[in-house]
Amino acid sequence: MRRLAGLFLLSALAAQGAPPEATVGMRSRIEELVLPGTELVPAPAKPKDPIVVRVLAVRAHGSEFRYDLEWSGFEAGKYDLAKFLARKDGSSGPALPAIPVVVKSLLPKSVKEPGELLPVAPPELGGYRTQQIVVAVAWVVGLLAIFLVGRKRRKAAPIAAARPTLADRLRPIVEAVASGRAEDTAKAELERLLVTFWRHRLGLREQKAGDAIRAIRQHAEAGLLLRQLEAWLHMPSPPEKVDLQALLAPYRNVSAEDFSELAKPVEAT
Amino acid sequence: MTAHQVPVSPRFVETREFLHQIRTRVGKVVVGQDVVVERVLIALLTSGHLLLQGVPGLAKTLLVAAVSKTVDLAFARIQFTIDLLPSDILGSEMLDQKTHEFRTHKGPVFTNLLLADEINRAAPKVQSALLEAMQERRVTIGNNNYALPAPFLVIATQNPVEQAGTFELPEAQLDRFMLLHRLEYLTPTEEKEVLRRNAALGVRRDGKGAVARTEFDVLGDQAVGSSDRLVQAMEDVQQVHVSEAFLDHTVEIVNRTRKHPKLELGCSPRAGISLVKASRARALIHGRDYVLPEDLFALAEDVILHRIRLTYEALAEGFTGPQVLQEILSEFAQ
Repeated sequence: MRRLAGLFLLSALAAQGAPPEATVGMRSRIEELVLPGTELVPAPAKPKDPIVVRVLAVRAHGSEFRYDLEWSGFEAGKYDLAKFLARKDGSSGPALPAIPVVVKSLLPKSVKEPGELLPVAPPELGGYRTQQIVVAVAWVVGLLAIFLVGRKRRKAAPIAAARPTLADRLRPIVEAVASGRAEDTAKAELERLLVTFWRHRLGLREQKAGDAIRAIRQHAEAGLLLRQLEAWLHMPSPPEKVDLQALLAPYRNVSAEDFSELAKPVEAT
Repeated sequence: MTAHQVPVSPRFVETREFLHQIRTRVGKVVVGQDVVVERVLIALLTSGHLLLQGVPGLAKTLLVAAVSKTVDLAFARIQFTIDLLPSDILGSEMLDQKTHEFRTHKGPVFTNLLLADEINRAAPKVQSALLEAMQERRVTIGNNNYALPAPFLVIATQNPVEQAGTFELPEAQLDRFMLLHRLEYLTPTEEKEVLRRNAALGVRRDGKGAVARTEFDVLGDQAVGSSDRLVQAMEDVQQVHVSEAFLDHTVEIVNRTRKHPKLELGCSPRAGISLVKASRARALIHGRDYVLPEDLFALAEDVILHRIRLTYEALAEGFTGPQVLQEILSEFAQ
């Protein structure tokens, strides 16, 4: 009897003329619709379904149910909402009457619809585990590269920074000055090296430079040699001919140990 | 005969004697500041300017007054304060009410020896006005430009302790001072001598009253030499021989300040010039007609220290300017 009432209602809808209409994307409702059988729910939606149905309310209607449905179309055309409903309990139940709806498009017919997107396969980077392995390998390689490059530079640095010792530098300058072929710059460097030499020999390295040079000049041996050198280098006309061979003789065979006050201490006088 | 006991020209002997007399005369009034007297003479002989840094009470004013009286130079003193104006130093134009014309009033800068006491207490514009006069030795008042008397020497002082309400001289202005000498306290023996002399000063009668005599009253008005004699000494400084080796040493030190990792700012070329000029004057004072590395080492601190600036890292590590300079001088040949 009630089934007949539902059919009657649908047939009444059909009799009223046009089925419910809505434009693409707009929601529309059908209320108080009695459908036979057990309770209905929206069927699982598929990606390409042209219409989507929602059940807004379900009320018992004797042995049947009365529904408020909302639907929305994505493509223009005529559809049967019954095809988009399913039994909640999964049973097949009695066949549903057709619930026709019309989805209209506002676009003119001449408009071309966009072409269907072709599925593009994602780049094959592997899964999360693969990515983790790749990152870990890159990190280890990078770390090794930093260590190896740093080690090479450290190895190269001492070679570049290796400077001749003071003794090594003193010897050729002394020879050049003694032979009379030294330039002014070399003579100046000779004086600086000899001051340093005596600072080491007399244990004056920790003293202020001014105090150290005063102490050197007052030293019996160093003072005489340094004053003679100063006279030769700085006086406009040295008072007596300086015997360079004799003046530089003490420095001809200096070794690195001579620059260490610990190795060869000489008491300052 | 050792290398240094060589005869110099008679004129050099005269000059050496003149400079020795100045030192002796000043030494009668100022106790134990031999190095400062030497620095003042160096500044005087080279027309360089001198900045003295020291706490109050170290006889800075007395020293400068004594030098000016000894050499018969005009002396003026300006006490720098926050409200001092450039016109207070340089001078200004004043309207003569009788003639209705502007008359130039020359300021205290028109002197031979100017003592700028506590220079860092004045506003920067006043410092700049003085430093401009120091550099150009000319002053513009109104629309007229006036040359300063010759010789013209500024001896400025600053107190390193009190920093509140002071305007620190920027590097560019410090560079104008040929020497910055840091005064130290006297030794106990010297201080005892000061007290002994002070106790024997007595009082000075002034009309019906009397005032306690000060060291300034001891200064005799009779000079040991005229300004002409000073000019001759200045000319003699120019005759002091500077060897190529000495120039090489100077350039080496100056360059080392520019490359030193602990220094943000190294020496300007003016520092090298000042080192050579000051060394020549020192050599003359010590009776030599040629410079020696000893002069360089003796003057390096006063010439270089105020021209260098330490890096932030060096300051954070606790290094000081004198330490870094000694490092440079010690590594001179390394």
